[in-house]
Amino acid sequence: MAMMVIALTVVTLVATLLLGVTDLVTREPIHDARRAMLHRTLEQVLPPHANSPMDDKVTVKRDGKPIPVYVARDGSGHILAFAWVVVAPDGYSGAIHILIGVKPDGAIYAVRVTEHQETPGLGDGIVRNKPWVHSFSGKTLENTRWAVKKDGGDFDQFTGATITPRAVVKAVKKGLEFFQAHRQTLLNDAHQSASSSREVTQ
Amino acid sequence: MTKTEIFADGFWHNNTIFAQLLGMCPLLGVTTNAENGFWMGAATVLVLLGSNVVVSLIRGVIPKNVRIPAYITVIAAFVTIIGMAMDAWMHAMYLVLGLFIPLIVVNCAILGRAEAFASKHSVGDAVTDALAIGLGFTFALMLLGGVRELFGRGQLFGFHVLGDHYPDFLMFILPPGAFIALGFILAGVNVINRRMAARAAQRETRAEPAGEAVGAEAG
Repeated sequence: MAMMVIALTVVTLVATLLLGVTDLVTREPIHDARRAMLHRTLEQVLPPHANSPMDDKVTVKRDGKPIPVYVARDGSGHILAFAWVVVAPDGYSGAIHILIGVKPDGAIYAVRVTEHQETPGLGDGIVRNKPWVHSFSGKTLENTRWAVKKDGGDFDQFTGATITPRAVVKAVKKGLEFFQAHRQTLLNDAHQSASSSREVTQ
Repeated sequence: MTKTEIFADGFWHNNTIFAQLLGMCPLLGVTTNAENGFWMGAATVLVLLGSNVVVSLIRGVIPKNVRIPAYITVIAAFVTIIGMAMDAWMHAMYLVLGLFIPLIVVNCAILGRAEAFASKHSVGDAVTDALAIGLGFTFALMLLGGVRELFGRGQLFGFHVLGDHYPDFLMFILPPGAFIALGFILAGVNVINRRMAARAAQRETRAEPAGEAVGAEAG
């Protein structure tokens, strides 16, 4: 009996120790990998810019939760676009995370799906189907019917997959509505953070 | 058993997929292309190596009654370590394989090797067995992934091998294609095995008959 307890305790202790060491070693690389991933997608949804949007963010509350909004600026600090993550909770298999880039006038610059578990070959067209992904660019709340064609909207569905693009279109529309509601706050905050950071550098 | 026999047994005669039909969840889940199959296999090889070595080292020290929880703790630790390392240094592939990495813990092929082999053999033999079983598993994953990628998308490892205008054959990418392709692969394996057995039988009629003892373990 005592032997059993000792054996299991030792095994568990050694395993815990190993995991602790691995966590210490991998924590920084994992953090860097996540940042590199975010950086790559941000570059795709934002117009060419002079700042580092990843470090130039303002925080807005959505449903009581703070979400980071990344800001792209040109060389003289003018705001070119905002980018943030929207979540479509109603994908075919689980939530779909989408990074959207929006210009200050409320038109989409670009949209990229960052996380999903949709069916390979069907729903994953939201990542693989390039024309579809690019069809969001330039769309605003006013100039577009925000639904898939089957529902009388402007966006294509895929053969054998309607639920997935429907969820993405709905989430992006919600993102634009969120932008419209917070546009002024975002612009003000971004202005302030720009001037404060300039004061720091001076 | 010699090291060569252990290897041949683990890689082919007792192959996790072809002979034991274990580990079906990662096999069918991630093999939409050959590359996914390769990395899933590589992760499994590393976990198997770790768990087989440790289980072999602590054999005789762990009381029989608590050996299963002890083995599972060892396996879970290695899976978590491999998962963290992939998250850190192979982030894109980690995102693709996603849930299937932590699920290696419950791949009964791994616990099966700990219980049926590593806990009864020396560290050297346990390493050979881990490599054999792991590479055999990787081979099966890559074969199925390659077949599905080739027929489904006309590609291999992401390269277009059947021309740029291959019309995607979706069924092979979707889950039913995994089952159908696996069925054909298993049939092919059985044909090969029967030929090998026939040739061995021919040889045996000339030489002296030898005993055969290949027992399949369940997990």
